[in-house]
Amino acid sequence: MNDRLLDFSIKYGFLILLFGLIIFFSLTTNGFASARSAAFVLQSVALTGILALGVTCTLVVDGFDLSIGAVATSALMLSAYSMVILEHSALVAVLLCLSMGALVGLINGLLIVRFRVPDLLATLGMMFLLIGLQRIPTQGNSIATGMSLGNGVVAEGTFSKAFLWIGRHRFDLVIERLLPMPVVIFLLIAVFIWLFLGFTRHGRMMYAIGSNERAAGLVGVQVNNYKIAAYMISGVTASIGGILLAARLGRGDIASGNNLLLDSVAAALIGFAVLGAARPNAFGTAIGALFVGILLQGMTMMNAPYYTQDFVKGAVLVSALVFTFYLSSRRTGAGR
Amino acid sequence: MPAHALEVRGLLKSFGRNSVLKGIDLTLDYGSVTVLMGANGAGKSTLVKVVCGHHSADGGELHLAGKPFSPLNAADAIAKGVVTVHQSIDDGVIPDLDVANNLMLDRLAEPGSGFFVREGKLRREAQRVADSMGIEVDLKARVADLAVADRQMIAIARAMARKPEVLILDEPTSSLSATEANRLFALIDRLRDAGVAILYISHRMSDIRRIADRILCMRDGLISGAFEDKPLDYEAAVTAMLGHSMLEVDFTVQRASVAVIELQDLQLTVEAQAINLAAHDGEVVAVIGLLGSGKSRLAEVIYGINNAVSGQMRIDGKQYKPVSVQHAVQQGVFMSPKDRATNAVIPDFDIANNMTLPFLSAFSNGSFLNGKRLRRRARDMNQQLGVVCQSETDAIGTLSGGNQQKVMIARWLMEPCRVLLLDEPFQGVDIGARRDIGKHIRASANGRATLVFMSEIDEAIEIADRIVVMAEGSINGEYLNENIELGSLISDISGSETALSGQAQ
Amino acid sequence: MLRRNFMALAGAATILFGSGQALSQDMPAPFDKAADVNIALVRYLSTGDFFQAYLAGVENQAAALGVNLRVLDSRQDAALQADMVDQAIALGVDGIVIQHGLTESMKEAAQRAVDAGIKVVAFDVNVENEAIPQIEQSDYQLGKMALDQAVKDNGNNFTAGYVYVPGIAPLDRRHVAWEETKAANPDITEVAQFGTLDNPIANSVANQARSVLQANPTINVVFAPYDEFAKGVKIAVDEAGLTDDIDIYSADVSTADISAMREPGSAWVATVATNPAVVGEASVRALALMLAGEDPGASVVVPPTLITQAFLNEQDIKNMDDLGAKMPQFQHADVAMADWMPLPPR
Repeated sequence: MNDRLLDFSIKYGFLILLFGLIIFFSLTTNGFASARSAAFVLQSVALTGILALGVTCTLVVDGFDLSIGAVATSALMLSAYSMVILEHSALVAVLLCLSMGALVGLINGLLIVRFRVPDLLATLGMMFLLIGLQRIPTQGNSIATGMSLGNGVVAEGTFSKAFLWIGRHRFDLVIERLLPMPVVIFLLIAVFIWLFLGFTRHGRMMYAIGSNERAAGLVGVQVNNYKIAAYMISGVTASIGGILLAARLGRGDIASGNNLLLDSVAAALIGFAVLGAARPNAFGTAIGALFVGILLQGMTMMNAPYYTQDFVKGAVLVSALVFTFYLSSRRTGAGR
Repeated sequence: MPAHALEVRGLLKSFGRNSVLKGIDLTLDYGSVTVLMGANGAGKSTLVKVVCGHHSADGGELHLAGKPFSPLNAADAIAKGVVTVHQSIDDGVIPDLDVANNLMLDRLAEPGSGFFVREGKLRREAQRVADSMGIEVDLKARVADLAVADRQMIAIARAMARKPEVLILDEPTSSLSATEANRLFALIDRLRDAGVAILYISHRMSDIRRIADRILCMRDGLISGAFEDKPLDYEAAVTAMLGHSMLEVDFTVQRASVAVIELQDLQLTVEAQAINLAAHDGEVVAVIGLLGSGKSRLAEVIYGINNAVSGQMRIDGKQYKPVSVQHAVQQGVFMSPKDRATNAVIPDFDIANNMTLPFLSAFSNGSFLNGKRLRRRARDMNQQLGVVCQSETDAIGTLSGGNQQKVMIARWLMEPCRVLLLDEPFQGVDIGARRDIGKHIRASANGRATLVFMSEIDEAIEIADRIVVMAEGSINGEYLNENIELGSLISDISGSETALSGQAQ
Repeated sequence: MLRRNFMALAGAATILFGSGQALSQDMPAPFDKAADVNIALVRYLSTGDFFQAYLAGVENQAAALGVNLRVLDSRQDAALQADMVDQAIALGVDGIVIQHGLTESMKEAAQRAVDAGIKVVAFDVNVENEAIPQIEQSDYQLGKMALDQAVKDNGNNFTAGYVYVPGIAPLDRRHVAWEETKAANPDITEVAQFGTLDNPIANSVANQARSVLQANPTINVVFAPYDEFAKGVKIAVDEAGLTDDIDIYSADVSTADISAMREPGSAWVATVATNPAVVGEASVRALALMLAGEDPGASVVVPPTLITQAFLNEQDIKNMDDLGAKMPQFQHADVAMADWMPLPPR
């Protein structure tokens, strides 16, 4: 292959594909090309996008966080439990969820750093633990206002207006009530993680750890602290995802969150291929999430059945991984 | 029998716009050791990688034993009789397997070797190979737990077991002790007598004098000189490689001034004798010793990675007790570790980011990095040390070993420090880069004490004001670098062993 | 009193206060010594309100009878579920309730249980065995009643969106009702079919539904015959601001569903449900009849109930308990009954 063409396709291939998709769906599908449709796409990717940004931080330090889906659904249950059963305010519920996420991240980090449990195993264990834990307080029942608590007592608390606002409010932008709050939060987190990883010395050190942990340690980087921090970021972003989920559903549904996990990991991995980065990066992750979102939105609008959507998701992921690991490695093979 | 074992004609290879091999012609003969010399970036490694099937050639032809030879991949090259032992040791061994399995790995991978591993037979065979190579490690030890030298010996031993037609050794002695190197040379002699064509890549004059039948020099992707007539003209070879003649050691030895770091009764291991040593402002002290002499351990103790059994350290008269690397760096103790690929290089980063990693806060406003300032500083350092690259944003992997090492050294010369520790700074570095680094270290030596840990006497003489010899965790001798009596120095290093390299120049 | 204390210890605390509790000696063998009777519930699906409520029903009826209940949960592992039947056989239980599962994996395991002299009933899984009565909540009826209500409310000329994931047995049976309704009312147009079981289901369906509503603005009825689907569609409808333009008809009910249906202006107008707890009770009663030597019949169908938004609002029903109180047919189904059969306390 021509070297310049290879370089170009590695760098811009995915973005071109993304624009191609948008044009394709705009032409073939009624109502795809509109501001409202764009807001829909963003909303549907907001949740996985937020989780994916967290997992990106753990990928950067050469780790992995399998517990994010479970953290999100635990936050969903915790916020419901806090407001409906304990009748806390929205603020308390949100703070509880965020601290739960941070705590889970801390435990993950300590398991990995202090107790030397491999990252996949530690977070897998945490995933199971959380899936079980979130069901214990309600014996496996979903939480909703009016649910019976036994002994004839009925849960009186409700999801407060302020809490639902986090998930349901929509800002006016061009069109009235266009931009949903979760999208705004997603974009804010994306910008934050992008700046943090790409433009701060902390981010730079995290990348150094991911690339050669020993070397990073030998220049005085506090490897363990950074690794724990990465898992805590991941835990907190996952709990934010859970809060948004709770605010959208307006109830505490028990769920394993495995699909959330898989979708967000896919987004982060697709992100490797964006701009030929060949490594985890926040911009790529956001684009990866968007890519999957646009694809699914377009296909749903075209009435494609759900299994074709999984197939297409898988195909996108596999081709992104080929981009990343084969083509990019051929490029960096130069001069070795 | 065809005239040449391997014949290369007009070999071309480029990566992107970067043309690395510009038409290489060379031949290797049966029963002869051809030494390939070349400065960093000359294209030696690329040449090797084409011949051993890692890269495909862009142009030119290869003939092996008279037949056209175009290996599809590394395995294909090996099957056809070209075996390579690479500079990077980890290419050759599987760290998680034990020594016996590593020695027998090729056998295990052969088709038709049976489904089940016959443990007893495997171990007997492995023992035989180890004996023939003079390897004296426990065959049940995990390779990951072995010293670098042992790993290298295993990689070489395995290649030998293949009975190759052409054997390529890419800087095989760069991490071997004198004894181990001698064993290797003995083996190379034997293989040469058996008719194997050997291509030996090295910068070590001592190695070259010992084994070369002919010398080829490479510069800028071309063969710049061939020397076949005995006696071989080594001076001319070096000139052909560098483009100018080798410089004599030329500096004024620094006399002791104010002590910067003092080690008092420092005991590295329970059996070792206590170390008392001071390094002074502006002084460069070479700590030399064989592998396992404790010199790396000493560096690690000073850098806060390991603890001494007992004793004290003082910097500028004040108690110094590092608890971590970070703590050491904060107090002005910097170290460039040995084995740069494992311990220093961040492979995903470009030159500028590799260089600035320890001092990122100097290039940031609050937490945010100032990319411009960072790159400008890296560009300055590149110029000072003469790093050969297109720009400071080149990926570190695109540099040759010597240039990578320059970047790693530059990393620690960026900020002023009190004590600079350099552990094996010339490992896998060609003569040209070695001179550049040495010159820069001496030029910048004022204001700090510099301790250089190394195993080569000639390297030490090139750079140090004072040479301290270590053996078995203790200091065995100390020399001011003026008219050193080599015999005494060598016997300090080891009573019975002879350090070949010291006598070389 | 000793016996009653023992049973309390066995985990059936409610029976101490139970009014419907019959005295053991009034019941036929083997329930005259009910504490010696062991039954097992072998589950395939367990996550979710429906299954939780079903389990509660099984537990309550078992406690009312005073028998020992052992719950074996395979958590959607078909092979494990079959192994669990064998495990129950090895434990020497007297009766087994098989709850969901796959015909292929359960058929032989069920036969082995029957061969071992154990009485078996199956809920929502066809094990193709004449000795095993089927307990059914009639998914077909669920779908049918919801669609009848849709036709009643909207006439026989509307544009529909349909949420369906093929291959899931209860959904497939509800699908039959949809096909029939479409055939009987040619003016009903299905413009979009979608659905997913990606977890959390409601969230994933909401994402899909929004795309569908965007692409097909003419939809005025959505048939979502599973409450998680209905929840998702409702979220999408709310987000699209189409609450007044779209009516959602669904199946199944839970406390959370009740509050969703009763939200002001909710598009979720009706659902049809069988009380899963009642199905659980009927499963155990059918098994008890068999153990007592009576015949519950080849199939025990628990009839569904239509629950409309209007009814919920009129009666101010807040949760499942209220629903049971205000709608007796939802609280108890008169199937698999006998005079001697004690019922769980209300």
